[in-house]
Amino acid sequence: MIPEDLRYTAEHEWVKVDEERVRVGITDYAQRSLGDIVYVTLPEVGSDVVAGQPCGEVESTKSVSDVYAPVSGEVVARNENLTSRPELVNTDPYGEGWMLEIRPNDSAELGGLLDAEGYRRLVGNDEGSSDA
Amino acid sequence: MSSGPRRSPLHSWHVAHKAAFAEFAGWEMPREYPTGVLAEHQAVRTAVGIFDVSHLGKIIVRGPGAREFANRCLTNDLDRIGPGRAQYTLCCRDDGGIVDDLIVYLRSDDDLLLIPNAANAATVAEILGRDVPDGVQIADRHADFAVLAVQGPASAAVLDAAGLPRPHQYMSFLEAGDGFTVCRTGYTGELGYELVVPSEQAEKIWQRLIEAGERFGITPCGLGARDTLRTEMGYPLHGQDISPEVTPNQARLGWAVGWRKPAFRGRDALLAERERGPSRLLRGLRVTGGGIPRPGMAVVRADDAGEVIGRVTSGTFSPTLRMGIGLALLDPSVAAGDSVAVDIRGRRVPAVVVDPPFVDADPRRDPA
Repeated sequence: MIPEDLRYTAEHEWVKVDEERVRVGITDYAQRSLGDIVYVTLPEVGSDVVAGQPCGEVESTKSVSDVYAPVSGEVVARNENLTSRPELVNTDPYGEGWMLEIRPNDSAELGGLLDAEGYRRLVGNDEGSSDA
Repeated sequence: MSSGPRRSPLHSWHVAHKAAFAEFAGWEMPREYPTGVLAEHQAVRTAVGIFDVSHLGKIIVRGPGAREFANRCLTNDLDRIGPGRAQYTLCCRDDGGIVDDLIVYLRSDDDLLLIPNAANAATVAEILGRDVPDGVQIADRHADFAVLAVQGPASAAVLDAAGLPRPHQYMSFLEAGDGFTVCRTGYTGELGYELVVPSEQAEKIWQRLIEAGERFGITPCGLGARDTLRTEMGYPLHGQDISPEVTPNQARLGWAVGWRKPAFRGRDALLAERERGPSRLLRGLRVTGGGIPRPGMAVVRADDAGEVIGRVTSGTFSPTLRMGIGLALLDPSVAAGDSVAVDIRGRRVPAVVVDPPFVDADPRRDPA
């Protein structure tokens, strides 16, 4: 499942562009590759994140994977529900399983993200990868 | 001959049921099915699960005096059990390091079945072979048998419904002909059975158990759930918690050593270590501060200095407790109940030292 209205990173994050902030999560492909997600670590609200750098972690029973910031900016919200219900990332990755909201420093960075078609091509050529 | 990973005789069934695979000791085995690790784990704790653990080794030691011979090599005392009984034991090096942990099935004084770990089967066979007496044969039968584990409170009912014989006492077994053995053993902490089946019969028996188990909610489970289940019990995994660098004293497996036996491999070194006290001990950790410990992470004192007092050897999320748990080799000054911290990628996360099991489960409990 790859919604048409979202943008994507090669590291399997999705980005929903709002006017002055972007919402971020991991894709359905990523959650399926990881299996049951049991713990999520996210940056504090107010902290700065750098595009392409790890800013959080998702853990399955067996392993831990980084979540990468899709754009540089300030974290303005994070999904506190994931502390007690990390499984929301599995059950509703594009909805209740969202992770962060970031206010981008430079909205031009958004132009570098993949569209749905580009991401579809990526996972089509990338079967078996489990990076999130 | 393919040079790829070895596969179970049930491999095509797993593929057809959309298992995700992982390579384990050179074997490509199901990690989980689409059900997912958490639901598979829960099925074993509350109903029944079925695992393909055919990667486990199978060694047959046969001939006059086979039992006495094995008893001179392995640590536990085979004189504590009689025919029809199984025993957890260790194969150690002369310096006391653990080459493998394994189960010995005593069929008769002249006929033993050994189930070592997949990665160590050949090494165990080699060590046994070093001083095998005339007339005793050691046969490495790794690929000739499948091992199916039926585990959980409803496991007895599933075997009954499948028309299979069922041994009553924990750590006992029955032979059902054609090299088919049913054992009341397991690695989950629940009531359960392990079936050693000739490879060519594996799929037929597996199907029969799945059909018989349907009304009990039988759930195929992968090695992911097997790992969370055994970690909740504090059962060590060779290659992680125990290894040739770890002794039975350090792993607190002294109960699996026949200290009064005149001979077993590693005896002198282990007696000496027991006398002076081991340099570290394997204990449990409950991570109370949020986060999941992973092998290799440092365990530190909870004070400001944060001195390193050991390393995590196994760690996972406990589906039962809904928190991170782990096993760790810790300085012997650390005791159960102590507050410590785990260095989780630079975060010092509070944890409490405990003596496993982490959960209220006991494989000795009889069927309801």
